[in-house]
Amino acid sequence: MRFNRSVAALLVGLVLVASIVLLAPRASYSRQDRDATLATASRQHPAGTDELGRDRLVRVSAAFLLSLAGAIAASAITTAAAAAVGTLAAFGPASVGWLAMLACDVFLALPWLFLLMMVRSALPLTTSPANSAAITFLVLAALGWPACARAVWRGALNLRNAEWMLHTRASGLRPVQIVRHAIPNLLPLLVPQFLVCIPAFVIAEANLGALGLGVGEPLPSWGGMLLELDNSAMLMQTRWVYFPVALLVVVLLLLDAIAVEVE
Amino acid sequence: MKSAISIARWLARALAIVVLVIAGSTVLVRFAPGYLSDAREMDSRYAVAARVELSQETARSHSLLGMLSAEIGGWAKGNAGISRQYDVPVSGLIRPRLAVTGGLMVRSLVLAWALAIVAALFSSAGRNPAAVWQAPSTLLLAIPTAAMATLCLLSGCGGPVLVMALLLAARDFKFLHRALRKAWLEPHVLQARAQGIRTWRILRFHLFPSLAPQLAALATLSIVTALSALVPVEVLFNVPGLGQLAWNAAMNRDLPVLLAITMIMALAVTLSGVAPDRAGEWRSA
Repeated sequence: MRFNRSVAALLVGLVLVASIVLLAPRASYSRQDRDATLATASRQHPAGTDELGRDRLVRVSAAFLLSLAGAIAASAITTAAAAAVGTLAAFGPASVGWLAMLACDVFLALPWLFLLMMVRSALPLTTSPANSAAITFLVLAALGWPACARAVWRGALNLRNAEWMLHTRASGLRPVQIVRHAIPNLLPLLVPQFLVCIPAFVIAEANLGALGLGVGEPLPSWGGMLLELDNSAMLMQTRWVYFPVALLVVVLLLLDAIAVEVE
Repeated sequence: MKSAISIARWLARALAIVVLVIAGSTVLVRFAPGYLSDAREMDSRYAVAARVELSQETARSHSLLGMLSAEIGGWAKGNAGISRQYDVPVSGLIRPRLAVTGGLMVRSLVLAWALAIVAALFSSAGRNPAAVWQAPSTLLLAIPTAAMATLCLLSGCGGPVLVMALLLAARDFKFLHRALRKAWLEPHVLQARAQGIRTWRILRFHLFPSLAPQLAALATLSIVTALSALVPVEVLFNVPGLGQLAWNAAMNRDLPVLLAITMIMALAVTLSGVAPDRAGEWRSA
């Protein structure tokens, strides 16, 4: 438990530092210092600049907050959808349950990256960066629910067959009332699902961004910054190019540690 | 007889899933907000007349039913539709790349399983704390595939097989370690160890047979994970496989190609579930 708290505290600390960096005067992720392109670390730019002269620390902070907020929101949507589908399938009529699980199977049969690429490539050519970020995380949320829904369905089925649940039905409680009692008992299943989805969505966004199909420029994203590693001229000039990757790995390790601890 | 009925029922369900995937993907693509825009219409190299022709061509594929019939018709004819980007049958683009992707997947899966099984055996049976073995696996899972591939390219060591194998091994190790740890503590295994039966005999006759259903399910999961990792690995290492073709199609909005590859992936995932689902029945038949 102590380990869990210190990990969470570290993550909150990183969020605070990133927020402070972004709130500093003249800190803008798109502001370009044309006199300091590909600069190494200095007092003005503590983590150097990219090839357009944009401050790397500010961009990493913005990417971290954007990715974390997006992944948390997407995970919340996924968990809510999984809870709704799983509970409906377990407590609803058998035909509804069969249809819900068939829908899960259809989604699970598709490797998510291909579906994600298909949806992203069919977006308008003029999608704004903010919209591309929102759409990326919404699509992740829309594709992430089936695996969670199956787990919730199994948990809800066990719950439905529990003695106290039989008692509630025998007492004549309406289905809505039964589900209201069931949901709090599914929380031990839903909370880990929610936490496990967060790092998975952060990684998915980074992979998609590295393929040029994620959040649009000039909005910073982990994936967009991974693309910097392809620039050999930049790598020769400054080692700070590795900073976003290193921070991303640290963030993912922290998120994973929290998820494992709660699980 | 019972087994044959069960297999037939399973095949019917798999077929239904694939048909639903085709219909669902087509609906998804058709109603995506940018479906009617074509990147070539913004390319200044195309003459005005060509651009008008392109927009007319896009407008013709407006109806959902038309799209679905074209898609299913293309599969029935065996050409899987016509590529928007290259104007050639999609099957002609896919066929030579299947072998490349298949080879990459098989080599990666074999290496990954070898690594994961060896590491899981040592970590579950050895006296070292589990964290010693779990730390590298956790670290590997925290590195996005694209970053791992880029770092391998920069350091000049390893190739696509190694990157995919490391990713798969890290994931498989977690499950294998947990399953083996539990299996080593089973009463009959403890008894066998106490009687001095050799380790390889315990593994061969007690541990692996009892873990077979879990291992088969894990194999399916490995295939799904490998398929998802294909795109970044093939793109970054410039491997001319299906993942690279899919990425190219996504960047150029070549939806017939992307749709066809998605169908193949769905089919691969559905069929890879045959072994674990049926293994138990075949054994007991």
